[in-house]
Amino acid sequence: MFKKLLFTVFALLLSASAYAQSGTLTGQITDAETGEPLIGATVYIESVNRGTQSDVDGNYTINDIDSGTYTVSYRYVGYVTVNEVVEIGSGTVTRNIELSADVVGLDEFVVSGYAVQQKREVTGSISTVSSQDLENVSLQNTESLLQGRAAGVNITTTSGNPGGAFRVNIRGNGSINAATEPLYIVDGVQISFAQLSGQASTSPLNTLNPSDIESIEVLKDAASAAIYGAQAAAGVVIITTKDGTAGPTQITARAETGVRSLANNVDYISSDQYVEYMGEAFALNFGIDPTQSYISPFDGTTQLGAGDYTPFENDYRNFFLSFFGSPVEAGDQLANTNWQDFIFDEGVTQKYNVSASGGNSSTTFRISGGYESTEGTAFDSDFTRLNLRTNIDHELAQNWRTSVRLNISRAGQTGVCQDGNFINCPPSQAMFEAPMSFPYQFDGSYNPNTRFGLSNNPAVQANEVDRTNTVTQILSSVRLQYQANDWLSFNGSLNVDYRNTQDQQYRSAIAAPAQDGWVSFANRNVENYQGNLIANASKTFDGVHAVSGFAGVEYRSDYSESQLTRGDGLPGPFFTVLSATSTPVTAAGINSEWRQASYFGNVDYVFDEKYILKLVARYDGNSRFGQETRWGFFPSVSAGWRISEEDFLDVEAINELKLRIGYGTTGNSAIGNFAARGLYGANGSYLGSTGLRPTQLANANLGWEEAREINIGLDYELFDGRLYGAIDAYQKDTEQLLFGRPLPSDSGYDEITENIGAVRNTGIEFEVNSVNVVRSGFRWQSRFNVAFSDNEILELPDGNPIDEDDLFESLIEGQPIGQIQVVRWAGVNPADGRPMWYDADGNITYTPTNSVDAVNYKDGVANIVGGFGNTFSYKGLSLDAFFQFSFGQWAFPNTDYYFTRTPDFLMNLTTEVLDRWRTPGDVTYYPRAMEAGTDFAETANYRTQLSTASIYNASYIRLKNISLNYSLPDRFTQRVGLNNVTFFASATNLVTWTAWPFYDPEVAFSPNDIYNNLTAASYPTERQVNAGIEIQF
Amino acid sequence: MKKFKTLKYALVAALIIGFTGCDSMLDGVEPSTSVSSEVVLTSEDGVNALRASMYSKIRENFSMTTEYFIGPSAFTDETRNRPGSTRFQALTQATGTSGGTAHLDNWGLYEIIQDANLIIGGVDASVFEDPATLDLYRGEALALRAFAMHNMVRVYGYEPGNFSQGPEANWDAGVIVRTEPVIDLADADLRPRSSVGDVYTQILNDLSTAKTLLSGVNSDNRFVTEAFVDGLTARVNLYAGNWGPAAAAAQDAIDNFPGSLVSTATGVAEMFDENAGGHPEALFKIVVNPDTENSTGGGGFGNNGPATYTADGFLAQLPTQFLLDQYEAGDHRLGWYQDCTTTQSNPLTQPTNCDAVNTNGLVSVKFAGEKGNSVDDMPMIRLSEMYLIRAEALAKDQNSPAAGVTDLEILRTARNVGAVPASALTDLDAFEDYILDERMRELGVEGHRFYDLKRLQRDIRNPDGSLKMRADSYRILADLGSGLLNVNDQLVENPGYE
Repeated sequence: MFKKLLFTVFALLLSASAYAQSGTLTGQITDAETGEPLIGATVYIESVNRGTQSDVDGNYTINDIDSGTYTVSYRYVGYVTVNEVVEIGSGTVTRNIELSADVVGLDEFVVSGYAVQQKREVTGSISTVSSQDLENVSLQNTESLLQGRAAGVNITTTSGNPGGAFRVNIRGNGSINAATEPLYIVDGVQISFAQLSGQASTSPLNTLNPSDIESIEVLKDAASAAIYGAQAAAGVVIITTKDGTAGPTQITARAETGVRSLANNVDYISSDQYVEYMGEAFALNFGIDPTQSYISPFDGTTQLGAGDYTPFENDYRNFFLSFFGSPVEAGDQLANTNWQDFIFDEGVTQKYNVSASGGNSSTTFRISGGYESTEGTAFDSDFTRLNLRTNIDHELAQNWRTSVRLNISRAGQTGVCQDGNFINCPPSQAMFEAPMSFPYQFDGSYNPNTRFGLSNNPAVQANEVDRTNTVTQILSSVRLQYQANDWLSFNGSLNVDYRNTQDQQYRSAIAAPAQDGWVSFANRNVENYQGNLIANASKTFDGVHAVSGFAGVEYRSDYSESQLTRGDGLPGPFFTVLSATSTPVTAAGINSEWRQASYFGNVDYVFDEKYILKLVARYDGNSRFGQETRWGFFPSVSAGWRISEEDFLDVEAINELKLRIGYGTTGNSAIGNFAARGLYGANGSYLGSTGLRPTQLANANLGWEEAREINIGLDYELFDGRLYGAIDAYQKDTEQLLFGRPLPSDSGYDEITENIGAVRNTGIEFEVNSVNVVRSGFRWQSRFNVAFSDNEILELPDGNPIDEDDLFESLIEGQPIGQIQVVRWAGVNPADGRPMWYDADGNITYTPTNSVDAVNYKDGVANIVGGFGNTFSYKGLSLDAFFQFSFGQWAFPNTDYYFTRTPDFLMNLTTEVLDRWRTPGDVTYYPRAMEAGTDFAETANYRTQLSTASIYNASYIRLKNISLNYSLPDRFTQRVGLNNVTFFASATNLVTWTAWPFYDPEVAFSPNDIYNNLTAASYPTERQVNAGIEIQF
Repeated sequence: MKKFKTLKYALVAALIIGFTGCDSMLDGVEPSTSVSSEVVLTSEDGVNALRASMYSKIRENFSMTTEYFIGPSAFTDETRNRPGSTRFQALTQATGTSGGTAHLDNWGLYEIIQDANLIIGGVDASVFEDPATLDLYRGEALALRAFAMHNMVRVYGYEPGNFSQGPEANWDAGVIVRTEPVIDLADADLRPRSSVGDVYTQILNDLSTAKTLLSGVNSDNRFVTEAFVDGLTARVNLYAGNWGPAAAAAQDAIDNFPGSLVSTATGVAEMFDENAGGHPEALFKIVVNPDTENSTGGGGFGNNGPATYTADGFLAQLPTQFLLDQYEAGDHRLGWYQDCTTTQSNPLTQPTNCDAVNTNGLVSVKFAGEKGNSVDDMPMIRLSEMYLIRAEALAKDQNSPAAGVTDLEILRTARNVGAVPASALTDLDAFEDYILDERMRELGVEGHRFYDLKRLQRDIRNPDGSLKMRADSYRILADLGSGLLNVNDQLVENPGYE
């Protein structure tokens, strides 16, 4: 009943008449091997752009086809596509089709930007992740779905905060001073990254519900990305959402719930171990010989055995009692708080999705709604999203089609402060608070004696601080298509990306005593509009010369603004609004805009389905650039040769073999919106008048960073599709990098931004997919991808190194971005437990000098990244395990290293200290117990002298996702009127194998971190275990 | 079907229109917090704002505030660090051969010169309805350009006539002279240091033009006045050893300044307190708003203002007993020194160990943050300095200590101390010693001590009299540093630092 109602509503809504004077194509699609009906197989008549999907019984019908002869394709993911020539007359033509399993890959369609292409005709390097790969993966973000699944796309979590941001890096760091994010396009809408929340790590793609995603395509090389010109140097990610299919309305409801916990814990020592350590440090510092018995210097009488430091420990215990206080009323016991457990608690997630999809020959639709609520581990951090998506395709009249894609979402995040050694951030507090410290006193009140006082007591931060952001986002595209004749069509579309972000923060008078509490509110808006018009042409001459192409224009305007307010002084915990504050403190606001206008086009020529030539060009003008360089031209050329179609390669095992080669240019326009202008900025004031002074010199020649890339690839499909994949090799030189060239300061300016510098990224990528076993209902499929890459700085301004002696951010020609320069660690002197280093000549030194003795050690470049997965299915049961890995990246764990390895500030201590040197002859890596890093005479500070021992290997292999599904057999579901019932359980980040001893080997400071070799109190990645049910009817 | 035909034409027409004239769509995008240079330099409001920036830059620039006033004392013998404090510790510890390269460093004053140059040479006379307004602004800009240049040249170069003071004979390198506005990239050329002589010539020319443009402008000492131009002319001539012009300009300043020396005990003691005296002797004072211009966002103040270095906040640089010993009992100026616990405005951090620097734990209250938020107004030149300049210049011009006595005694009388002792009048050297002491008493912790010792080629000593830097040490001049030299290969480093 419901279905009928829904259908009627839609029919009414879109009451365009159908002009039926023609025939009908119908039939059933089944599995060639088992004879079972295939549900959701696609039937598509390309020449008239008509199609449908098979229903639960495998049946399909396409009505109102003009009489004529058509090639109809029958497609089903994981099966060989069948192309049938069908003659349609005035009646009904029935075609029952059997599809053979296993042949997948090159018959798929690929969305390559402004057009859909058959994968066999692709000449660039494009990675695809389809919804089949993503089913039952419980993740909040679109970016995380891609992690490990597309070769050469390196994705790193910058924050474990649910809904947090990712660093997405396609084929290496191509820029130093401009943004390095790829261009994201959702159903044709280019997404803006302006004005994100200032309070939580977040991504504009949070608006998308991952279960609405049909496929994600990554345009990796210049030949395929050049169609996006000046925005494409860092690659393009194209996200396509699920469409409706003609047929009876299908409703899918899905519910799941789960728990979220820290993916990894760090081991810290207990209070007793702390006291032992300090007592030992005190004694040895005092001059006690660890090998000799001695008389206690405290009372001058007690005889103590060698290595017994009891009186020193007692002294420290008493000091700690006075310094940290005691959690018990008697005041005689030290606390032993596990701060990690206090700060990172388990969170609960729940998710509900409902979708309805269906339609008839002229109209198809898919409507879906989703709600998700996920609690993070750190205090109250969470993510909630409510979204509604409507995708409608409709035939307005003969040759006229329109489509609407509309996504409305409201996402909320409760964030915590993170990423830095801040005394009020929970991730750093987990390291800053010693076990002797404690959150609550025995009477339940906040302990005022935590490491940084009452206002920074972690319990106060948890309960008295609230930082939330709410994002309302509309992503929509409306498209109109006109088929002028059999070879020419026109397309116009209008795209909207509107985002409103509201940041609110409240701190009670306990958390902000100086201000007597405060409330801040920020309102941020992004209005990002695009419109384009495209003419498409496609014609085959003499049966073998297939020529197609398009030409288009596009316009984009990206306007953003923000208003920030804050009021201090709250009358009590009753109000959290600005009106309740006594003193307005901040009223600030800015707006900014950039615009882009573009011409673009491509021409494809395919000869005899064997030789493919593709020319792409885009001409972009951008308001960010100087008058002289406002317009940039980005061409590419690529070619493909389907060797398998040649007569000489008539090998049965080879189904498809295609060689691809492409070269092209793309640009990076992600610089400041007004970087090329001569500007005067508001600066200072005198006697009530605001000053204006020159802040930036005009730079009429400021231009794009340009990436030139050559890509050579091979697509293969062997053994009837049992084995397929691709190999790609590339070299990408990004030139004309933006750098600030210093100006003589007597000119009144510090620097001017100019196009100088170059970076090279090279790499090889492999994708292998296989169907290992298909036997009596059992099926085992594998997939694997790996990318090897290298990064090198080719050219810097005047060839001069930048920050030459900087440990982590040096830029030197011939070295990668993210080179780490530290002195070599020589271990602990077994004789006296002193730390030792090597000087430049390789001699042991106790006082190394970084600028002289440092060597090029490791770097932050993850040279080898990828993923692999296996899917096993038997009847209704399937198990999927997907692993993701990253090798080659080394990094410095700033907070852990500086604050948890020595007791200088009486903070947490890692269990590394238990391996300390204790008596002469001990060979170990941790020095003698110390009261501070400076304990050793004439020796560098052990805490702050960084060395090769401070740099850790951030390589890892992670069981990213594992899921188990069970679909009830049809005989049960049919009986209750349901099409399908599936139970599932899944886990994310379940196991990680790594040598990284701290929270999280995924090291990236921000989405635009180019060094990736330093992390400081980042919100660690979390583990999630979910279970749920999906019902289709 | 007709509507679709229309739609079809519309679609094709839009496509054709789209293909033509995209460029204009890119225009009209403007930043919200910046404007183009044309807007500023061609409107009255714009030039007014540029002038505000020029004055604001004095407040914002550390070299024009805390370093200007406190640095020369910390570098010599007038102040020392309260134990536990670190502000300007490097300056107090810097010695002839060690102590790193700590020195006064005010190359950044070019940002004031940049604003001044735009007003002087970048604004067309037609912008103002009343051309007198622009003349007034140009006069101010010339004076402030001269002021900035003189402050720099006394840090990086020897005074005229002293060129063989240091390790290298006849070392007369000054600073870069830049008198045209930098409007586009081509203007930001690389320039060598001009000779000290050329720099002084430029400064005196600027001051001479400024005096003409500001003739009779003396009523509001919150802006540059004619009396300030006179006072600065006197100071520059004194440094250059032009005794006659120095004395004459100092007299002009005294004549043109509407006020006179303060002579009551309370008046002197409260002279620097904005809530009481409010700088009655300032030829020009920079006024700071404690509410909006206190933080680093407003520039210069907050944790870095002169008060936080001396009487409030960090209480880092306290007057030495050597300085306090210069005063006789009854000197009104002893009111400038108060117990350190009374001046600290932050009740949470009571200062300790003040008595380690001087016997009674006193601080100088010339900058004590009375306006709130550790903020003070800043008297850039005071009237009393004019009497001291006259006394020194006249004595040296006429080669007779007696010629300087009158002016010295006018000042001493106002400060309630007696006649100049006969011992100071035996010869010019004795008189110069006495003038130096009187300058300490009057101008202590106000930005003079190091420059006085330097221009008179005296050794720099610690408060206990021990040698800190000999007058012929290369360390008397500041280094330019590799940062400047790397950018500009025309620059030469001062001797000893290469």
